[in-house]
Amino acid sequence: MSRQLRSELLKLRTTRTAAVLLLAAAALALLGIAAEGLSPTPGELAPEDEQRLLFGSAATNAVLFATFVGLLAVTNEFRYGTIRPTLLFEPRRRVVLAAKLAAAALAGIVFAVVCLLVAFGAGLAILAARDVDVALTGAHTLTLMLGTIAASALSAMLGVTVGALIRNQVGAIVALFAYVLAVDAVLFATVPSVGRYLPGQANNALAGLPDDELLAPGVGAAVVMAWTLAFIALAALRTDRSDV
Amino acid sequence: MLSAVELTKRFGDITAVDDLSFDLDAGSVTGFLGPNGAGKTTTMRMLLGLAEPDHGRALVFGRPFAELERPGTRVGAVLEAADLHPGRTARDHLRVLAEVARVPPSRVKEVLALVDLNEAADRRVKGYSLGMRQRLGLAAALLGDPELLILDEPANGLDPEGVRWLRDFLRTFAAQGRTVFVSSHLLAEVAQTVDQVVIINHGRLVAESSLSELTARLAGSVLVAAARPDALEAALHDAGVAATERENGALHVHGVSADRVGEIALAAKIPVRQLVTESSSLEDVFLELTAEPPS
Repeated sequence: MSRQLRSELLKLRTTRTAAVLLLAAAALALLGIAAEGLSPTPGELAPEDEQRLLFGSAATNAVLFATFVGLLAVTNEFRYGTIRPTLLFEPRRRVVLAAKLAAAALAGIVFAVVCLLVAFGAGLAILAARDVDVALTGAHTLTLMLGTIAASALSAMLGVTVGALIRNQVGAIVALFAYVLAVDAVLFATVPSVGRYLPGQANNALAGLPDDELLAPGVGAAVVMAWTLAFIALAALRTDRSDV
Repeated sequence: MLSAVELTKRFGDITAVDDLSFDLDAGSVTGFLGPNGAGKTTTMRMLLGLAEPDHGRALVFGRPFAELERPGTRVGAVLEAADLHPGRTARDHLRVLAEVARVPPSRVKEVLALVDLNEAADRRVKGYSLGMRQRLGLAAALLGDPELLILDEPANGLDPEGVRWLRDFLRTFAAQGRTVFVSSHLLAEVAQTVDQVVIINHGRLVAESSLSELTARLAGSVLVAAARPDALEAALHDAGVAATERENGALHVHGVSADRVGEIALAAKIPVRQLVTESSSLEDVFLELTAEPPS
């Protein structure tokens, strides 16, 4: 493990930011499962698709909060000026960017695992309590778990690149929300044939959410990776050039 | 050791650093002086590879900062208003950097002790005073036991005791043959610490000299108080000494020794009550050098 990566992981562990976000993600995952699992009738919960949606709600939270962890890991450095000591000890900016991407990806995996544990723990308990048989197939379970983990890791990296491109914390958060709510979701709802290729919807596909308009999980994975690589390239260019 | 070569940096229409060149020797303490806004911080950022010059080169140990191997073990730097995350403790701030500098964890304890932050080390930085932040910044700069220290206004926010501590620290540091480049907008703050100065104003070099050379520029004058100042002034004029100023009946005489003033007064039979050589302060010279050019 590179020194810089260790340093970035230590940064994530030595402020409350990441811990608070993880708690929030877990709490919202629990809330989502409770809402999805308790409001429908037992009969409505029985079909496999319905249960994919139920357990898949973990992915949405993990992905959103993983994006934030990545975004804040970068923008906090600019907000508090810690980017300067960081670069004084490691002036090769791409090394720092790579370490941040890797650290964020690892954090994203942790977020996904925690959200999945919450979702499956609470979801299975709810199904059992309501006498609903588990209909989720092994293949779909695997897709959902691996997909959520991959989607969270990639989203955390996307968050890092957004932070590196926008730098201003408030600006980056506003841009992210505006994009998710006003571009990604709206375009998918109105023109799904295009919207499905956007990072948010491709992530949903990757996480194995059941929606006929979404891409297949494998294609979704390829699309998210392409977006992530493109953003990493832009972030690297911006990082090389700007003064701090 | 540290050199600026025709360094130029513009922000829009403003030229913050303008064709600035200087060269520092190893083992010296150099004051980097100029009024606020003179371009000191921008120059330091370029020397540290944080900002890209529009023209010219900034070299540390003969190379651009970014090309140094393990720069944390060669150069320690603190820029203005120590850059810290308020939610992180001092110890963790240092651990994060120590990881990259490849120094043992024990070094974190050492530098905390060095800047006297042991007791506060596990408190979050948000509760720190400005002086404590400055000291924590210095602790981070010292992590890698560097041979060159670059400090931007390190005395800001320090109480008089802290300023004295800093002065002693920098002297000790330099006495080990290491180099210090320290900026200040107040010459008096560093006059007792530095052995040479680089003075800039409006991004341009105003003076690069040893402190003793700067002292030699001090223009002396003679203060003379006499029973009949008008008569004395006339006598001085007759003797070819034109530059005099009146102040409360006493005269400031420029460009002539106290001995000569005494002789002139004696020849004119004017009783003298007081006769002193006075020198202007370093601060006067500094202010004169960095005064706004008449526009």
